[in-house]
Amino acid sequence: MTFAWRAAGMNYLQYSSIAARALRRVAKSELQPEIAKRQGMGIKAAKWENGKSGLPTPVSTIETRPRAEN
Amino acid sequence: MSFVGRTFKPATALARTARLGMRLYASEATGASSGKLTVNFALPHMTVLKSQEMNQVDMSAVSGDLGVLADHVPTIEQLKPGVVDFIGDAGSQKYFVSGGFAIMNPNSVLNINAVEAFKLEDIDAQAVAANLAESQRLAASAKDEVTKAAAAIEVELYESLQSALSK
Repeated sequence: MTFAWRAAGMNYLQYSSIAARALRRVAKSELQPEIAKRQGMGIKAAKWENGKSGLPTPVSTIETRPRAEN
Repeated sequence: MSFVGRTFKPATALARTARLGMRLYASEATGASSGKLTVNFALPHMTVLKSQEMNQVDMSAVSGDLGVLADHVPTIEQLKPGVVDFIGDAGSQKYFVSGGFAIMNPNSVLNINAVEAFKLEDIDAQAVAANLAESQRLAASAKDEVTKAAAAIEVELYESLQSALSK
């Protein structure tokens, strides 16, 4: 039995983080400040060529809501 | 598994169990059965329950809904987004988990790991309705497979949450 998300090319970690983000969004507003502390961590990667670093850019994540620009 | 001091009984189910170290039936439970589970429930950022004695834990797994009692057959279950209900002497505690794993050990220790979990009273029902509508809209309108699948995951979670809140 293959999951629909795996058939679409997603892996378990991505599935798990999408579900976790979805649940965090609907927690009561009093809890949101604590939740914000454990969200928003991403990875930036920079490509190196000839000993020189390129610009670090965020590793793409699967977004289901428009990203809020601070 | 240590076999020191264990007499070898040929061709009985118990001997087969001892040799393979694998238990197939609750009747073959060798743990000191106090009739209680020892539950550990952990999230990455916090331990919700540690070595708590519970009578029963109900959960929703990918393989089906199950209620775990002491001496349940050892198993590893992938959890669906849904309610995990811890029933102890003091009553029942419900948490909605975003997913994770439940690992039942032969010594009646039940470990549940989830990425996110909230008590039902900590969930905003209106936010669930609004986000469900938004995710359904995205699932219908998304062009690429991955975004569609992501929206479908959210729809499943919000629908499960709505039905849990309405009970």
